[in-house]
Amino acid sequence: MSEEIGPLQKFLRGRGMRKLRRDRMALAALSVIGLYLLIALSVMAGVLDNADVFDRVGPDNVAGFWGTQDGERRLDHHQLRIERVERAAKTTDPTKSLAEFRLGGLRASAGTPEEVLGRVEEAWRALDAVAAYDELDVSPEVGPLFEELDAKVAALYEEPAGFAGFVQSLRMSLGTDRQGRSILFRALYSTKVAVQIGVVASLISVLLGTLLGAAAGYFGGWVDHAVVWLYSTFSSIPWIVLLMVLAAMFRGGALDGTLIPVYAAFCMSFWISPCRVVRGEVMKLKELEYVQAASAIGFGRVRILLKHVVPNTAHLMFINFSLLFIGAIKAEVILSFLGLGVKNEPSWGVMINQAKAEVLNGFFWQIGTATALMVVLVLAFNILSDALQDAFDPKHV
Amino acid sequence: MSATATEPILQVRNLSTCFKTDLGVVTAVDDVSFDLHAGETLGIVGESGCGKTVTSKSIMRLLPSHLSFQKPESQVLFGGQNLCTASEEEMRRVRGDKIAMIFQEPMTSLNPVFKIGWQLDEALRYHTDLDRAGRRARAVEMLRLVEMPEPERRVDEYPHQLSGGMRQRVMIAMALCCEPDILIADEPTTALDVTIQAQILDLMNGLKEKLDTAIVLITHDLGVVAQVCDRVMVMYAGRVIESAGVHEVFHSPRHPYTQALLESIPKSGAREHGKRLPTIPGIVPSLTELPHGCRFQDRCAYKEERCVESEPALETSGGRSHRCHFPLGGER
Repeated sequence: MSEEIGPLQKFLRGRGMRKLRRDRMALAALSVIGLYLLIALSVMAGVLDNADVFDRVGPDNVAGFWGTQDGERRLDHHQLRIERVERAAKTTDPTKSLAEFRLGGLRASAGTPEEVLGRVEEAWRALDAVAAYDELDVSPEVGPLFEELDAKVAALYEEPAGFAGFVQSLRMSLGTDRQGRSILFRALYSTKVAVQIGVVASLISVLLGTLLGAAAGYFGGWVDHAVVWLYSTFSSIPWIVLLMVLAAMFRGGALDGTLIPVYAAFCMSFWISPCRVVRGEVMKLKELEYVQAASAIGFGRVRILLKHVVPNTAHLMFINFSLLFIGAIKAEVILSFLGLGVKNEPSWGVMINQAKAEVLNGFFWQIGTATALMVVLVLAFNILSDALQDAFDPKHV
Repeated sequence: MSATATEPILQVRNLSTCFKTDLGVVTAVDDVSFDLHAGETLGIVGESGCGKTVTSKSIMRLLPSHLSFQKPESQVLFGGQNLCTASEEEMRRVRGDKIAMIFQEPMTSLNPVFKIGWQLDEALRYHTDLDRAGRRARAVEMLRLVEMPEPERRVDEYPHQLSGGMRQRVMIAMALCCEPDILIADEPTTALDVTIQAQILDLMNGLKEKLDTAIVLITHDLGVVAQVCDRVMVMYAGRVIESAGVHEVFHSPRHPYTQALLESIPKSGAREHGKRLPTIPGIVPSLTELPHGCRFQDRCAYKEERCVESEPALETSGGRSHRCHFPLGGER
């Protein structure tokens, strides 16, 4: 009696999956990768909009986490918040500009422009009272004055409720960068950029490399010579140089500022390693009898190559994909750090580049966040690749 | 010799296949001619490297075209067509559909990543107009024909789930699923153990009668030849050196090489006990340095001056032929 089960269930119940399920590290790595993918997908779905990533939410270089700010920083923060509302209330069309007003997701509280200006005035007075003290963190009298100021400024803004309130509390949790933008949200947005570059670049490279390598290995002759010449030539060009050339080529064109030059440079240099491996494997496979048997059945050469030989290189495609995925993410960070990679969008490399100057002043929040997110992803991927190798390698007991 | 009355379905005439090597052009199959009749089993016998496999692959045109070529006088006449000059397109219609082939190594003859049902299905899809359900039914039927246990379940299994003998059965099923006129079996039992060998040979014999397929059986095992063949062609260093009915070859071999091959078969019985098994001294000459005269001279027990001076021609008489100046069983 054979039980009817589909191929997916068979795969899930198989020996490889059982071993994988027993491996705690692998499961942890898998959930971390899943989390990153979830973040990337929700960013793509528009959970973070441009305002979250590009607009000022507070003063420059605010340190992360709640309550670690000294009096000066708190004063700066309040000053910025009062100034912003005041500016909106003093435009030519104050009703409209107050309705459209946002500061990092916060709205101005309801009221006519006159009422708002009145509240602004009170807030300024409370601020001046605090600012009169020189030693904000030492003087005991400042405490109640600060509470007064907190209340006045809070009155200027609508208190966000529910989920919006939670998002608001996250916004400043890892501090702000030099332009007062939320580090956490920029780093999360960068996850999307990293995953996007990793998937696109490694997918195209693996497909391109597999096709060229398979054709070279299978047909031999001049096809082989051409492909080998092509990859020898390309592998002799360092990819950073290649990218600089491409960046110069695309400058001013329609694709300038998009990710296309990055993809192009990565694919041009990354297709080589799958191509080499697949070419060698196909040279071995084409001598096997099932390939000869396929031609004895009368199939054409292209059909045999695509339907009989290439599926047998699937394991190489998977391995190369996971290697190139990590490679692409790291390369993107390096390129963006050099200012050659991602433009007009935050990315971990861009963040690290911007953090250069801050780090010297002891402000580590930006570089720390970007680096930590990158390291965790790369580490999780490495652990997972290792575990997959252990679980699915037939020679491994 | 009932088969000779009808027109042969395959006529090979003066087939010569050459390889381009670093040492120059080498003729691996030299002037081979034979006929094959419907329902007949022809055994091609010889040591390794004597051109058996190249002959069969030349008929199917499966040799790499940039490394090999056939001499212009070569003819493989099949169904009113000369396969040596047919286009690749025409060859693809012949392969699998009209002439099928099975290979020596059952372990690597099936694609490991596809279910055997898929592999049978693909051949049928390529050569027949059957619909999906029809092809599956035919695949199961073919598996049943080759005596595969539980064919309905086996079609959904992968090659690694089958034993060597079962894989060879699948290969035979694949080769026969389009009902070819000719089946070329290149050492189909060499990689199998003896009991499975016997089963596979019985199977091929039975199928030949059921489907009226002509079989070209390539082997170096004379025991296999005795079991299934109607006629035998012995090859040596690319040449046909003897060709005769199976009974004649075993009872009155004409060529010393054939005789030596027969003597080197282990025999059972008390009389043979304790004796050394006779072997043929020396090795097959390299195709790049063939001796002048008879190609077997260096290993021949009956060598004379004439053998060095000129190579004997293939002499045909009474339905059998041999290539020797001093044939055995004649006046000597």
